[in-house]
Amino acid sequence: MGWDHEGVRELLGAWALGAVPPAEEPRLLAHLAECEWCADEAGRLHDTVRLLDGGDPLLAYERIDRAATGEAAAEERTDRAARGRLLDSVLGQRPAAPRVAEHAAPYAAAVAGLEALLRELGDKGPWSTPVVHDWDVHATVAHLIAADESLALRLGLPARVPRAGDPGRGEPRDLSWREAWAHRTDEVIAHERTRTPARTVASWREQAAALLAAPEAHSAELAAQATTLLGVRLPIADHYVVRGFETWIHTDDIGRALGRPVPTPPDAHLWRLVRLGVRVLGLALGPQAVPVLLTVTGHGSEGEWVLGSEDEPVAAELVLDPVDFCLLLAGRYDPGEVPRGLSGDGRAARSVLERAARTAWL
Amino acid sequence: MENSRAPTDAEVHRRLVYGDESALAAAYDIYGGLVRRIALRVTHVPGAADDVAQEVFAHLWSRPYTYDPQRGTLRTWLSMLAHRRSVDWVRAEERHRKAASADEAALHAIPAPGPGPDEAVVDMERALLLHSALAELPLPQRQAVHLAYFAGHSYRQVAAELGIPEGTAKTRLRTALRRLAETLAEPPDTAAERGA
Repeated sequence: MGWDHEGVRELLGAWALGAVPPAEEPRLLAHLAECEWCADEAGRLHDTVRLLDGGDPLLAYERIDRAATGEAAAEERTDRAARGRLLDSVLGQRPAAPRVAEHAAPYAAAVAGLEALLRELGDKGPWSTPVVHDWDVHATVAHLIAADESLALRLGLPARVPRAGDPGRGEPRDLSWREAWAHRTDEVIAHERTRTPARTVASWREQAAALLAAPEAHSAELAAQATTLLGVRLPIADHYVVRGFETWIHTDDIGRALGRPVPTPPDAHLWRLVRLGVRVLGLALGPQAVPVLLTVTGHGSEGEWVLGSEDEPVAAELVLDPVDFCLLLAGRYDPGEVPRGLSGDGRAARSVLERAARTAWL
Repeated sequence: MENSRAPTDAEVHRRLVYGDESALAAAYDIYGGLVRRIALRVTHVPGAADDVAQEVFAHLWSRPYTYDPQRGTLRTWLSMLAHRRSVDWVRAEERHRKAASADEAALHAIPAPGPGPDEAVVDMERALLLHSALAELPLPQRQAVHLAYFAGHSYRQVAAELGIPEGTAKTRLRTALRRLAETLAEPPDTAAERGA
């Protein structure tokens, strides 16, 4: 039995494009033989497709995307030299994340990711879109100049923005590191407000590039030395991880503000952030806290840690996704709202989540 | 199909965003042939395939945020970008040719007689009009045509890949083709203006 006129009419576009499964074709053709209107329309649409092919009958219905139709594409490979030339030229337009030691790789990747996002804003883009705290996009990048600075100074690199407090007044020693850091952020933001976003981005990028070019970014041995930055004593290698963490979090902040989803860091980098986060959280909780078993699972891996006292039985178990764990540590999740699995003593688990959220300094 | 492909596209996108050059090479090895064949189909000039491929992959690499894996496959996105750039390539060539022949005519003060438009030339011009119109179709129709025409999908596969009912896929393909057919029926001036 043939199809009704309406049914065939709807199918004619697909048919002209060769997109009707063979099994359905005989019934369609039977209708065309008896319906002049459909036959005319089919002819017209078919001619249109023939012209899309450039009028060359040899090209008619030759599938452009052979891989998609399962045909061998081996002979389609362009020669290696042409491939190499094209890739070299394309890479010249945006440098790849520099090759660095493993501990600096999350930072190198995060810098590349933020650069890519900021490219989308151009010169006249929405730089004044509110992002986080009372910062817009421009100020968030300025904050990162201040945030990366402590490691840069520690490695002997110059400050990108003059320090108004130096040298006459000296560093106010009685400030906590948080206050000093907030003060420096304000100072850098105020300075960058007098410049264009493009120049602020250039300063941030140059400082990041200098950090990634430093010998400590290339040698695990050199980066093994512990130093106190931003209130926490860690090997320099871990301070690089912290830089990667903060850069990603602020990129994510900017992406959310601009409605552009930022992909999570590569799994290996994400897990490096998680492991460091667990250590920092463990230090913050201290050895006296009621012990809680923390399981972080997802994104290709899983880890378990007992946080708190080693002398008591585990009071509660918490299960978190690695991205959620990082967002919680970054203060981007309310401890009551972060998706989690929970069993045992709810109060003990909650105190871990609250401590994690309070660890945030970003 | 969509589900098994989506994570791969998301993964490639993620590596591109984070500056992993091996993702660029991987994308080129998977989709370079597709991009070149589309360029050849539109331009009929082998050298254009290099230009278009270069532009398309430079765009993917230097502006990875313009592709959003949540909104479609990388294959279709690259297919549409390659098509758009190919149409632009031909238009730019036409402008150069016209400018060059105008210079020549002024220099020699002799009107260029040129051969009469034979059928193949007319067909090529009409093909370009169609490709220009295709590049201007609304996104949902353009995606459907790319999947059917360039990727060789049946309307059922188009529906599955786009996550739409089969009836909608059929309608989009038909509406799109009718629109292209109308382009040819319009007086050449208007059609050329819109296509340009």
